[in-house]
Amino acid sequence: MSLIRTSLRATGAVGAVGALVLLATPATAADTATVSILHGVPATPVDVYANGERLIDDFQPGTLTDPQQLPAGSYDLALYPADAPDASGAPLLSANGVTVPAGANVTVVAHLTADGKPALTPFVNDTSAVPAGQARATVRHTAAAPAVDVRAGGAVVVPGLENPKEASLTVPAGTVSADVVLAGTSTVAIGPADLTLSEGTTTIVYAWGSQEAGFKLAVQTISGGHSAPAGVPGGTAGLMDDSSLPLPVAALSLAGLIAAGAGVLRLARSRG
Amino acid sequence: MRPAVATAVLGVALAVAAPTTWVLTRPAATAGAPVQQSLGAPSSPEAASAEPGDLFTVTARPAAPATAEQRPVPVRLTVPERGVDAVIDAVGVQPDGQMTLPADVDRVGWYRFGPEPGADGSAVIAGHVDDRVQGLGAMAPLREAEVGDEIVVTGSAGTATRWRVVSRELIQKQALPLERLFAREGPPRLTLITCGGPFLPEIGSYRDNVVVVAEPLP
Repeated sequence: MSLIRTSLRATGAVGAVGALVLLATPATAADTATVSILHGVPATPVDVYANGERLIDDFQPGTLTDPQQLPAGSYDLALYPADAPDASGAPLLSANGVTVPAGANVTVVAHLTADGKPALTPFVNDTSAVPAGQARATVRHTAAAPAVDVRAGGAVVVPGLENPKEASLTVPAGTVSADVVLAGTSTVAIGPADLTLSEGTTTIVYAWGSQEAGFKLAVQTISGGHSAPAGVPGGTAGLMDDSSLPLPVAALSLAGLIAAGAGVLRLARSRG
Repeated sequence: MRPAVATAVLGVALAVAAPTTWVLTRPAATAGAPVQQSLGAPSSPEAASAEPGDLFTVTARPAAPATAEQRPVPVRLTVPERGVDAVIDAVGVQPDGQMTLPADVDRVGWYRFGPEPGADGSAVIAGHVDDRVQGLGAMAPLREAEVGDEIVVTGSAGTATRWRVVSRELIQKQALPLERLFAREGPPRLTLITCGGPFLPEIGSYRDNVVVVAEPLP
């Protein structure tokens, strides 16, 4: 695991993006990376440009792209208003030199910071295998809100999560009722919502939005992290034992031996 | 004197013939192609991925939480030639990581985290071969399954999938190709598993698993 520090340059009238940390996962594909993009800035449809070329047209808030295989490397990303004809004007938001390491699975999130400014944050998704029967649940705070607690079934599972941080848990697969409260309170900001944590997946839940536009949840599911069970048990009685002769067969064989013995004995006596 | 010779000869013949006949008439440890071969080649996830650098076909979808879609589950397993007819429970894993099997040996378990029968990959249905109290299980005849035996799995919606046995193999539990048996990619296969081979009284279980792999019938 190598640590790559990427600095994103903020341009235009809005947007200040700080230094971001990309954590490269062990390379599986030699020179490509898997990249998804989530739009979490309320009420602002955009066009997304990568290295000057339009990547997504009319990208709506609350939508997520299908994962794309992209060559690993450095990308200059820029978001323009959806009605802009091209990338010639001033972008709403841009991030230059976003490093996408080979083999990594990355989600780039356009979202609001805690104090309501647009930002682009790349998250590296942990797609490593979970034990059979389990799922990985990852929560990411990308909403214009202070620290929150994430609760499942009413109990706090992730305390004090701040924008733009994340936390991961490996849990038994199933459906949980989750909500988001302001940290240390029981003031519900989002939810409760039923979340399906499918076995062998990484399910990433984003809290996004703002007080004015409303807080919402977005869900990204990455499959392929499943493991096989450790084995298959199957019997405790030995009724189908393959290693020894069944009793009736052994008894028959023994009876034959006794008869032969008796015959030989009689033969010997009659001679003697 | 004559009867004595006859008794001796017949006795020896019986002593030798009984175990010999037993050995010759019991089913062979394997039938058909090796299990690994029947399950299909392991798929390479990289080969399936899209062309790199295709920047212009990006699709986006709403990311709001969605309720899980209901998929059909198998409810009944029959192998007419072997007299197997069992109710199927959807099962998962035990705390020790092994596949859960129904405690009732008359029932069998479908691994609900893997594919359902007919979907891509290997759908696994397994059961206890026997139990100290309950006796023989529904899966006990599996070790006599032969290539060509038909298997029918009935789904919760009443629809049935039909299968043809292509492999039976006795595999030591430590050597079980678990990743392949529980594969979620590759051609649709039905994999039936129970216990077999020598019984090891010191650990109270069998040394091997009986693995039967079947291919879909049209």
